[in-house]
Amino acid sequence: MITKQQFLKIAGLAILTIGSSSLFAASGAAAAGNAPAPSADGASVVGKVKFTGQLPQPAKVSMNADPSCAKLHPGPAVSQDFLTGSDNSLGNVIVFISDGLGNRSFDVPTEAVTFEQKGCEYAPHVVAVRANQKLKMVNSDNTTHNIHPLPANNREWNKAEPAGSTMEESFPREEIAIPVKCNVHPWMKSYVAVFKHPYFAVTGKDGSFQLPNLPPGDYTVEAWHEKLGTMTQKITITAGQTKSLDFTFKAH
Amino acid sequence: MPLHQPGGSGRTKAGRSLPKSVVSLTLFLLSFISFTNQPGYAIPAFARKYGLPCSACHIGWPILNNFGLAFKDNGYQLGNDKDSPIYQNPAYFPITFRVTPQWHLENQTKVLIDQTGAEQSVTTHGFDLSGLDIWTAGTLYKNISFQVLPSMGEGDTFHFESAWVRFDNLLNSPWLNVKVGKFELDNLLSEKRFLTLSNVGGAWFNYHFLPQGDSNGFGGIGDNQLGVELAGHNQNSYSRYSIALLSSVDGNPGLTTTNAGAAAGSTARTYDVFANVNQGFAVKGLGVQRIGAYGYFGQSPTFYLTSNGAPVEAKGNRSFSRVGAYGWWFIKDLDVETFYMHGQDNVYLGNNIPANNPGGLPPGAVGPTWNGGFVEAHYTVNPQFIFTGRYELVHMSRQANPTLAQTPNLGNVDSWTIGYRWYPIMLSRAGLAVHNEYSQAKMGNTSSLTGTDQINRSVMIGFDFDY
Amino acid sequence: MVLTSITRKIGRREWRPWLQILTSNGELLMNTGSKRLGLTLVLALVVAFPSWAQEAHVGDLTGHAANGKKLYRRYCVGCHGSLGDGNGDNAQWVDPRPRDFVAATFKCRSTPTGTLPTDQDLFNSVSRGFTNSNMPHWDSLPAQNRMDLVAYIKTFSPRWQSEKPGDPIKIPPEPAVTAQSITHGGELFQKMECWKCHGQQGRGDGPSAATLTDSKDQPIRPYNFADGKDDSRFKCGGTNDDLYRIFMTGLDGTPMPSFADVIQPNDAWDLVHFLRTLQVHRHSKENDVAKGAGIKAPAPPSDKEKPSGSGN
Repeated sequence: MITKQQFLKIAGLAILTIGSSSLFAASGAAAAGNAPAPSADGASVVGKVKFTGQLPQPAKVSMNADPSCAKLHPGPAVSQDFLTGSDNSLGNVIVFISDGLGNRSFDVPTEAVTFEQKGCEYAPHVVAVRANQKLKMVNSDNTTHNIHPLPANNREWNKAEPAGSTMEESFPREEIAIPVKCNVHPWMKSYVAVFKHPYFAVTGKDGSFQLPNLPPGDYTVEAWHEKLGTMTQKITITAGQTKSLDFTFKAH
Repeated sequence: MPLHQPGGSGRTKAGRSLPKSVVSLTLFLLSFISFTNQPGYAIPAFARKYGLPCSACHIGWPILNNFGLAFKDNGYQLGNDKDSPIYQNPAYFPITFRVTPQWHLENQTKVLIDQTGAEQSVTTHGFDLSGLDIWTAGTLYKNISFQVLPSMGEGDTFHFESAWVRFDNLLNSPWLNVKVGKFELDNLLSEKRFLTLSNVGGAWFNYHFLPQGDSNGFGGIGDNQLGVELAGHNQNSYSRYSIALLSSVDGNPGLTTTNAGAAAGSTARTYDVFANVNQGFAVKGLGVQRIGAYGYFGQSPTFYLTSNGAPVEAKGNRSFSRVGAYGWWFIKDLDVETFYMHGQDNVYLGNNIPANNPGGLPPGAVGPTWNGGFVEAHYTVNPQFIFTGRYELVHMSRQANPTLAQTPNLGNVDSWTIGYRWYPIMLSRAGLAVHNEYSQAKMGNTSSLTGTDQINRSVMIGFDFDY
Repeated sequence: MVLTSITRKIGRREWRPWLQILTSNGELLMNTGSKRLGLTLVLALVVAFPSWAQEAHVGDLTGHAANGKKLYRRYCVGCHGSLGDGNGDNAQWVDPRPRDFVAATFKCRSTPTGTLPTDQDLFNSVSRGFTNSNMPHWDSLPAQNRMDLVAYIKTFSPRWQSEKPGDPIKIPPEPAVTAQSITHGGELFQKMECWKCHGQQGRGDGPSAATLTDSKDQPIRPYNFADGKDDSRFKCGGTNDDLYRIFMTGLDGTPMPSFADVIQPNDAWDLVHFLRTLQVHRHSKENDVAKGAGIKAPAPPSDKEKPSGSGN
């Protein structure tokens, strides 16, 4: 004979047990929802990323370990940690919505994002894709590279890519950002950011970005740089509004 | 234990007792958590070297488990090509100290007292030290292992308990290993690595038994012996054998034989043989079971040639043997050791008569024989808590001197022991065991006045340190 | 993840937060009576539940994490740590570092790169140990114990709940060892540029060898084929099948990548045969065939392949 309270507890135990196993399941498997189509009254956030202070001198990179790489750089190669433009604009910064989108899910684009190994360096140095979107990796060099992402929230894998070949992979879980290295050429480094939603941009040399077609609401916008860290700002945006937002990173 | 009392206790003020449900839940969680947080860490010397916890090699140190036995058989090597001293941290030195400060009580019945001329029970107790073992062992190089164990007894007497070098995995085979020096015989049930330490329980009677009045200098298969041993095992040490050629000196250096208490210097001339085989087989769900058989076949002198009164050559060698079988049974966390021995000494040894004086033998004298055995069980509650219990007996089946008919039990032993060891810390750097033990042994017909049975009892509370 | 962090707290002996939850909520518990207590108990059991449910299967042996946990405490915790993250008490003096089971990246697998190993892979690793490391071969433990340990180490990472192990790669039957196979393997060795790390003679002295680091940023050397007379120094097994698996699945957590997407299965066998000829001191069919056919051992690095100068 069990009382009502005992029954509720047993039921709760069963539900939580089942629930806990699904908690551990790959997140990002959200309930199939309707991806909001770009709406005519969609708002957008635009802006520029800059820095203040003195950035360190870019370190010189020696490619002597692989003469076929050294050959491609008649002048000295430098590390790609900082990409700057005129008037202190900062490139390779990922700007994205980090909060406020709720449980919405968005269709994954079918086209791939391309990412190249050229001159024994990654181009682009920072790339952003959607979770489960194809990332097309091209080896445009005359030497074998290996692609070795070191994620915290996705599986680590390591694949060899001989000269002139292409391969496709994808990452199922959101992660900002996954460092990728080539073991054969230890100076090569890039970052792949994986998003569950489409509201992200990587700044170019001029530091500018835009996040269009946002539904109205309250959002947290975050800017990520591989060396200078992250910054966040909260905004509220109404239908059709174009909000301007700048980030200024302090160089140490 | 009720998980929940409907309604709670209704009391809300701090300082009043918590409702039963909260207390029982707390206890439940605490027991769960504390059980899961036993730090099973390492032992000195070898644990320091390899980063393994103590419990990796020992059921509860010092008694070895399957993994530890395989490590020892392989010449103290894990076999990963990282065993040589050159791979170790330069500061590493393989040495361990072991000592057991304790409180103990000893009681013996039917002791003949001078003052009264009668027999009575005698009791002593107090704080005491065990001896100190300084034990160093390991590898000199790949496949050359060693052990040196200088030991100091109470009263600051010093002796070499063991000192040997072993050439391991000859011809790249685990079946060929040669050990030279003074060493423990390859007894699977090892007296050096067991869990009892008291005066009465600190040795297996079967491993040291001699009939009363016997002049055999052999101290038993539990004594370390001097000689050379060829031993081998398969990859996981389930199949093992050893065969040793030993000097008949019971491990005494200096070519010194002992003969019923009289140490005779530089007289050794003969050799004993010890052979041992055992096989293990894994039983699903229970553990590895092992069975084996052994035999020690030796000779002891019965008189000496003397020069100016000093013994110079042992003579009149007569033979003796100790043979038997044993098993080691694992039933999950309970392991049981079973042992049987049949012992036999020559009639001259048994009656303490020189072999060149056959007329000296009493009428109807025979070589004494006896049978003995023990059952010892260990229960491992967890790697830091182990219970032990043992029942052992040795019974004469034939006394050397038939005129001792009124004391047919002369020399018999019936004993039992119980105890536990608790290891509150088991760090990589040191080990400590809290050791509690009660042991009792009945010796047949040994009281000097009445020739009746005597009982010896030991109670021990000690701290066994291993640095 | 909240539940994971609570599990970690228990494992770390920081059980005080739990007690505080109970006693600091003691007022609440008493006020609201049964519901909070029930929920707390349910949460406690749910937290414990995943580890106790884990199993491992090889042949007709089934391992259970609950038994494995006791064995882990006895045998493994000194190096691998009570949290399974490779940070045991003694890990700081161990090189190479002990495996981090929380990251669940495993080196010796039969499954493709980036996927979890099979229970058989883990069982083999525990039984074989890893030569030239501090990981012993645990084959003196009964098979059931090793199976229980495999089940338990799978409880350290939530990935075992959300992903299935990869499908073991198919290894076609090995073709005959011929001079042509060996020569073609040598061409692959050049084309795939294995020599960049392994060196032209497979001595682990290639131009990139000195800069290699594993996924935990610890220095690591490529395999030296020329050393030793036998296969005892291969960490993931030394048969031809094992060599095939090594470069077709890659050694996750190390610089060694998978070549499964770029080498065809038959070509892979040619490469295996060629690699055996780099083991110059080992008696092998491959070495006999190569010698018989007059195939020369690869030359030491030529000047144009040597790294020019050092630094910039």
